[in-house]
Amino acid sequence: MKPAPTLLPTAFLHPAGQALPEPLLALRKQRGAALVDMPLPTRKTENWKYSSKHLKLTDEMAISLPIDGKAGSALAVPGYKVVFINGVMIPEASEYPDLNNILIQRFGDLSDAEASELAGQLDSTLDKNTVQLAGLNSARFEDGLVIRLKAGAVLDQPLFIIHEITAGASGSAFPRIFVDAGTNSQITLVEEYISSGQDAVMVNTVTEFNLAEGANVTSIRLCMDGENVQHVGATGVRQQRSSRFESHCVGFGGPLRRHDLQVSLEGEGAECKLNGVVVTQGTQHYDNHTNIEHVAAHCDSEETYRNIATDKSHAVFNGRIHIHQDAQKSNANMNNNNLLLSTGAEIDTKPELEIYADDVKCAHGATIGQLDEESLFYLVSRGIGRREANVLLTMAFINELVAQIPLEVVRDTVQVRLNHFFDQSFQGI
Amino acid sequence: MATTDQEVNELIKREYEHGFVTEIEVDTFEPGLNEDVVTRLSEIKKEPEFMLEWRLKAYRRWLEMEEPEWAHVGYPKIDYNAISYYSAPKRKEDMPQSLDDVDPELLKTYEKLGIPLHERAKLAGVAVDAVFDSVSVATTFKEPLAKAGVIFCSISEAMRDHPELVKKYLGTVVPHTDNYFAGLNSAVFSDGTFVYVPKGVRCPMELSTYFRINAANTGQFERTLIIADEGSYVSYLEGCTAPMRDENQLHAAVVELVALDDAQIKYSTVQNWYPGDENGKGGIYNFVTKRAACIGKNSKVSWTQVETGSAVTWKYPSCILRGDNSVGEFYSVALTHNHQQADTGTKMIHLGKNTSSTIISKGISAGKSSNAYRGLVKFGPRAEGARNFTQCDSLLIGDRCGAHTFPYIESLNKSAIVEHEATTSKVSDEQMFLCRQRGIDPERAVSMIVNGFCKEVFKELPMEFAVEAGKLLEVSLEGSVG
Repeated sequence: MKPAPTLLPTAFLHPAGQALPEPLLALRKQRGAALVDMPLPTRKTENWKYSSKHLKLTDEMAISLPIDGKAGSALAVPGYKVVFINGVMIPEASEYPDLNNILIQRFGDLSDAEASELAGQLDSTLDKNTVQLAGLNSARFEDGLVIRLKAGAVLDQPLFIIHEITAGASGSAFPRIFVDAGTNSQITLVEEYISSGQDAVMVNTVTEFNLAEGANVTSIRLCMDGENVQHVGATGVRQQRSSRFESHCVGFGGPLRRHDLQVSLEGEGAECKLNGVVVTQGTQHYDNHTNIEHVAAHCDSEETYRNIATDKSHAVFNGRIHIHQDAQKSNANMNNNNLLLSTGAEIDTKPELEIYADDVKCAHGATIGQLDEESLFYLVSRGIGRREANVLLTMAFINELVAQIPLEVVRDTVQVRLNHFFDQSFQGI
Repeated sequence: MATTDQEVNELIKREYEHGFVTEIEVDTFEPGLNEDVVTRLSEIKKEPEFMLEWRLKAYRRWLEMEEPEWAHVGYPKIDYNAISYYSAPKRKEDMPQSLDDVDPELLKTYEKLGIPLHERAKLAGVAVDAVFDSVSVATTFKEPLAKAGVIFCSISEAMRDHPELVKKYLGTVVPHTDNYFAGLNSAVFSDGTFVYVPKGVRCPMELSTYFRINAANTGQFERTLIIADEGSYVSYLEGCTAPMRDENQLHAAVVELVALDDAQIKYSTVQNWYPGDENGKGGIYNFVTKRAACIGKNSKVSWTQVETGSAVTWKYPSCILRGDNSVGEFYSVALTHNHQQADTGTKMIHLGKNTSSTIISKGISAGKSSNAYRGLVKFGPRAEGARNFTQCDSLLIGDRCGAHTFPYIESLNKSAIVEHEATTSKVSDEQMFLCRQRGIDPERAVSMIVNGFCKEVFKELPMEFAVEAGKLLEVSLEGSVG
């Protein structure tokens, strides 16, 4: 007899925050109803094979974190800024332009007509079967941001969305972002996840991008939550003809970090580039799942993820490329390279190809290894300390991707965090 | 293009060469599976007591298991009670003592298959232990093998004559709890091959078995156990065919290989079970568990497979590299056509120090078929200095087929290195143009290109098999270019 599956604690199905327009409340209710008796993923759940044991949902965590009006660490950003604290937007801390062709609105400020348009669009970019827990966000979001770029609109500076958790007790936060990029529009969006506090918290995020013909979107995602935060996030992208999507995900480990990135190339000539860097230490866990659907012909995808795992930590990568039957002349490339720096750490990778069209070029590669002894020797023999040599080579391994992040301020932030990581990880050398 | 299409259509219609039915009297159990069937099977085979217990234990456990659904294949649910679990050619006397005693009808079957037992065995120096449906019919070349101390017999004989070896190793590599089909096999396996190569012996010839499913509504559940003792070497070849029938037939075999210190086993398969007709009707369900345990130091196991048949294939020849410095190899060509589905690959489990493995997998899909590579490379925490190289290439012929890759890579050791690469492409227009420009017709051109694509694997096959594999591929492929 199979043991009965553990179900999603019912406490998670009670959303707080009623300050939303009616259509969004209705959507939330409908999504919540679908989650009743949802079994939690187990080791046998293919998508959660390596991560299910790290998912710890308690009744205490089901409570929405209280809204804390004070913006925490004032981040100096060179551009526009929207601050979310505990999943709710703080207008006072946010600075963004009021333009005719770019609408940036919080969910609570939408008219009924706008809200019902949005309700029809939410969840349209994600495959609900593969991102089970993202559904929870749809059932629980209390606030969110919708960004609509009209045809030809270009946001002149990057928009930073700071998601901060200031937990004084256990709880959850469910921030939600929806970006609708019209024909030939352009935007650079930076999402930064940070936290303070010690209590066990779950952050459940969903960010969606809808790219119309010729739209150009760059998304940067920095996952830098603290050791108390279980982060389960999903990003969904739909791309129409000749649109371009570029993603840079940088993640630092935690008790559970999970990010699902799903891109659907639905118009000819669409292209996407997905870069990812993950570092884990201690007993941290990080799990990246990406899925690229080549639905239309003549699309290109390029994906590179690099992981570094030290101590007893665990990094997981699962990349899937699915070429549909009519997606002839597709070009897809996926690479996953991993550095496993100590015995006791674990790296699991699964680069998948699922191909139903014949005139395609698809390749994937995956490696797991360690720093090259000869390179280390080369550096050491030139008077560079063993520790510095290790840091240098490790940095070189991921710098190829970090250097591609188009914003200097983000690169600097990442560098500071990486230095901190190296300080801790190469202590004994 | 028009001519090509025409040729294609003609060639696609080419029927399965080995699809004849041999009409001989057959002893067959009534369809159905229960403890009584398992007991009767064991009685018929005059098995020792411990085997009956082992089978019943496996059967009871199997009842609690669930059929796996994770493979990238689809087929209607199998009714395990509609299958007959024993079908043996009826013999006039007891067991045939020599080839002359073998039913001439049977021998004709083998001739049609292109393996006349006398000639081929003698000429090629191959000892063939042919399994016809479920009972090992005749075994040749036993004497020279016996001189070398090699035991090569059917597993039923082994259970009677060498119970200590069977008891010691059977089920140690693939326990009956391993998976659904292995559980079923453990309960009802009817026959199979047993090989034991003693210490320091290099088996003087290539051992070979030909499997063939003949009777309708029967499943073939053979069990192979090969033990290579310290410092020994053995090369084993396996070929499979089945007659053409409208119903699907089940084949759930288990192969266990055990390599002790410094031993080496080379296991080659050419699988050409009936794949079903062009509409996907009939064909064999090939659900096989093959696994090798390299328990000794410096041991080596090499799997080579050419899979062109079966309606559905579910097969993952694996190596557990427990001994330090042990080596595992997997070379595979899997070709699917029409409505065939294959989900095949390997598992390399690195447990010992300095273990290394190589995986070369070539998948070719044509028609409306689906071909998946599924593999696992795992490095345990003790696998210092372990090394793996994996390459899976897929070739697509036609725009209605699928090629998939599902590689799992898990590393728990910081000194282990794994490299994995996979590509998917089609026979390129440039390659075709080059060949056609030189007066080579499209059929031959594709066949040449595909043969080149598979060369890395074919060169691992023993000579006779390499020739057969090349031909098989040609037959299966011709007509798929369009």
